[in-house]
Amino acid sequence: MTESAPLTWEEVARVYGRKIYNFAYRLTGNPNDASDLVQEVLLRVRKGLDQYQPGSFEGWLWRITRNAFLDGVRKENRRPTSPLPDEIDRWSLAQSPGADVEYARIGLGDDIQKALLKLPVEFREAVVMCDVVGLSYDEIAAAVAVPVGTVRSRIHRGRRMLRESLSS
Amino acid sequence: MRHSGELISAYLDGELGGEELRDLFQHLGECGRCTDELMQIQEVRGAIRSLPVMEVPPGLVPVADVVPLHRNRGFWASAAAAVVIVVIAIAALVTPPATTISADDLNSRFAARVSLDPAFGPAKVILPDLIEVPE
Repeated sequence: MTESAPLTWEEVARVYGRKIYNFAYRLTGNPNDASDLVQEVLLRVRKGLDQYQPGSFEGWLWRITRNAFLDGVRKENRRPTSPLPDEIDRWSLAQSPGADVEYARIGLGDDIQKALLKLPVEFREAVVMCDVVGLSYDEIAAAVAVPVGTVRSRIHRGRRMLRESLSS
Repeated sequence: MRHSGELISAYLDGELGGEELRDLFQHLGECGRCTDELMQIQEVRGAIRSLPVMEVPPGLVPVADVVPLHRNRGFWASAAAAVVIVVIAIAALVTPPATTISADDLNSRFAARVSLDPAFGPAKVILPDLIEVPE
């Protein structure tokens, strides 16, 4: 875990951008909302770096990321957990190079992604932080501001729900 | 011991130790239901972890700007170098080979030029004598 803050928000973006994007993508289920969330997180990091107190930088960063996601859910409350469309948005994918390859890669995880989006937010974020981002239970507890025991319970119950969803 | 439940995920994530880990192993040896659950949770955990890593859309974060630029710069630098090599090769093919002119030839040319234009000079090229340097 990084104990001191990187110097600039650009460094945060460079080092953590991919992780934040994948976290956002798995929570929201679509590239547009994920991109919006990443931009919001980086904006908050930029504003907040001056006030950052030395400590667990990742805990601070993921708390910001998680809060930005929850704020987005509360604010929009229209398609925060909308499942992936059966037909993935080919137009937006076609805007980037290698769209066919990307489409095939996304298709592989469709069922799991849909099942993830069916999870209640608190279980989804715990599972995604653990299995997608790779945070420890302690780091998740710090980011979500709950006891480690709660994290443990949410991750296991989230996985159970996923298993049931995938097998139904 | 009651069924293991969340201890199973904690074990799979390497978050279990000491007494809890011993209790879990003991229970798994006696409980087929929890052993089945261990297998199922392990499977779903592996499925989530095998989700493809999504690439950040270009331009979203600084690294997405920087990396393609480096790649482009490398491509254009190579392309520019290739163009320069081609130009040099063509120039070498179309340029006649340099000829050496002796002092006598030069003097005769000057003499011819001076005969047409007396103001043109000098009329004669004088080469300095080479000084022999003792070894």
